[in-house]
Amino acid sequence: MEVFANEYPDEAWVVRAALGSAFVALAIGGLMGLIQTLHRTGFYDSLISNADYYTVLTLHGVAMVLLFTIFFLVGFFQWAITDSLGRKSEDIRITKLWYGMMVLGSAMSAVTILGGFVDSGSLSGVEADVLYTFYAPLEAHPLYYMGLAVFIIGTWIAGFDWFRSWWAWKKENPDERMPLRTFMVLTTMLMWYLASLGVAISVVFFLIPWSLGIFDSVNSLLTRTLFWFFGHPVVYFWLMPVYMMWYVIMPKLAGGRLFSDPLARIVFVLFLVLSVPTGIHHQYVDPGIAEGFKFLAMTNTMFLLLPSLLTAFTVVASIEHGARQRGGEGYFGWLTALPWGKPAFTGMTLAGLMFAAAGFSGMINAGMSINYLVHNTLWVVGHFHMTVGTAVALSIMAATYWFLPKITGREIFSRRLGLAQVLLWFIGMVLMGNAMHRAGLAGVPRRTADPTYDQVIYDGAYGAIGELRFQIALGGVLLSLSLVLFFAHLVLSSFDIGERAAATPDSIPAPLSGPEQAPKVLDNIRLWTSIAVVLILITYILPLASIVTDGGGWLGDSYGVIVAEYVLPAVSSTIDIFVGVVA
Amino acid sequence: MSSETETTEDGIVREIGHDEFDPVGTLALILIYFVIIGGLWAFMYFVEFLGNGPTVV
Ligand code: HEM
Ligand SMILES: [Cu+2]
Repeated sequence: MEVFANEYPDEAWVVRAALGSAFVALAIGGLMGLIQTLHRTGFYDSLISNADYYTVLTLHGVAMVLLFTIFFLVGFFQWAITDSLGRKSEDIRITKLWYGMMVLGSAMSAVTILGGFVDSGSLSGVEADVLYTFYAPLEAHPLYYMGLAVFIIGTWIAGFDWFRSWWAWKKENPDERMPLRTFMVLTTMLMWYLASLGVAISVVFFLIPWSLGIFDSVNSLLTRTLFWFFGHPVVYFWLMPVYMMWYVIMPKLAGGRLFSDPLARIVFVLFLVLSVPTGIHHQYVDPGIAEGFKFLAMTNTMFLLLPSLLTAFTVVASIEHGARQRGGEGYFGWLTALPWGKPAFTGMTLAGLMFAAAGFSGMINAGMSINYLVHNTLWVVGHFHMTVGTAVALSIMAATYWFLPKITGREIFSRRLGLAQVLLWFIGMVLMGNAMHRAGLAGVPRRTADPTYDQVIYDGAYGAIGELRFQIALGGVLLSLSLVLFFAHLVLSSFDIGERAAATPDSIPAPLSGPEQAPKVLDNIRLWTSIAVVLILITYILPLASIVTDGGGWLGDSYGVIVAEYVLPAVSSTIDIFVGVVA
Repeated sequence: MSSETETTEDGIVREIGHDEFDPVGTLALILIYFVIIGGLWAFMYFVEFLGNGPTVV
């Protein structure tokens, strides 16, 4: 066996390119993050104007959660498919095509966002200060939406590419069980096809024609609901590759074996089935959606805790197995037998620990009534910096220390530097995440350049608001330093210096309880996809129908449903007829 | 310190198979987690409902 980079040079090239794009996005997003923390806490607010803050924030959100995470995912999944099936891409040109499309789409959207900084000259009309959630009534330049569409179509082709590899493998190995990593990739992509349909419809049928001036208005609540149809499951698109790392890489690093292959498959099936019909939990305070539908979404959300709890058990048990094989003893003593010297292991463990803490604030967000207390406050920002911003981002950075040698054929520069980096991120996020949660409880709003008001004195449940601001700024600075270390490490690893040896080939140990223990029906992804579709229809058909009929038709009114309710019904029926003609 | 990926470095001193492995450490950690989560849940009542006056329920 050879190192991946030598055995599959073409595929390794695409993986490296995708990771490179991911890290460029991470660098840009990180810089914007630093500007934001310092600006909105008042520590350094003369770099940008309050108006430009929203351009910065859009860039931060898009670069971090759409580009960084998804570029890393496609690179990692390409490795997972090629390595677990042991076969080259069916047609490397297709593989390069989808990567190219994703780059092109990102560039198109990035140009329009950056245009927001330019107020005169040829770019003055080009802007997209619509934040990464981009639903109406905020409106961007058409190129922004088109770029997103090209990017998403790129990911769809990537999924097709991976299915093709699986179909070809299956033909040659008709009696073998689907390898675990392939199973994880394919279930994730099926979830993604279902989820991204919502945003694709919103972008192609409403936002693009609207921004081109073909329609005068769109139904804001409809575009919002279609966004969240995608906006919740997209978090599992970030998370599922990370779960793959936790299930596949962590036990290996700990010197153990995955506790149970069937349990891992069950978790991915649960995500496929339950991810989408929950999006309305982001709309608990939206007028225009009946409480009953919100309740249904809440119920599905609570069920979604299950796969994460199963993951906590399986992953910790697999690590414990490693610790015991390394001689660990006792109820807690085994923890000392873990390989804390490896940055990949320590980083992913810290990421998991942060995720466990964020599980609590997630349960608060998910509750329909308690959500009112934290909605649109900094609490929510604290929550997702601990989930996607740490559980996902830190796992990605940590896993890179393990992954890089596979795809470059060179060892990483220094373990100690890696350890310092992951630890610094964790400390920075403890400060920023915790303070953001508390500031949110005191009522500080999110997405606000200057959250100070003459009539308002924030009343912290405990601790003064000034102290919270300081912690948010300090945490943000530590996080930025951690990013600098990370990038320095990547650069140093690409030179012939440091404590390096050529990377050695490596294999993933067999699970303790293997796939032969898993009921065959688990691999019946067609069945699970159909169940997912049925659940989506049950949760979405009625609310969407009422949003369209009560909200002034498919194109509603650009000032939102509230206004639309007062608009003459005649107008809306004319619009209906118009749509009938167009469609 | 040489390679992150060398198997000799895994430090495995014994092989533990499926039937000899009893994840009691995992159980202990998860119980602690549940206690913390339950405690926070109770704490929330004091912070939010008793601390901040009228609220939307
Ligand atoms: C250097 C590290 C980072 C810093 C200092 C930072 C800082 C911030 C701050 C202060 C905000 C709140 C702005 C506001 O609501 O007014 C924010 C928003 C956000 N951050 Fe970060 N962040 C960092 C890393 C990340 C990472 C790694 C991710 C995800 C992978 C992420 C995702 C987001 C998202 C999605 C938003 C919300 C944007 C919006 O409301 O439209 N951030 N960040
Ligand atoms: Cu959600």
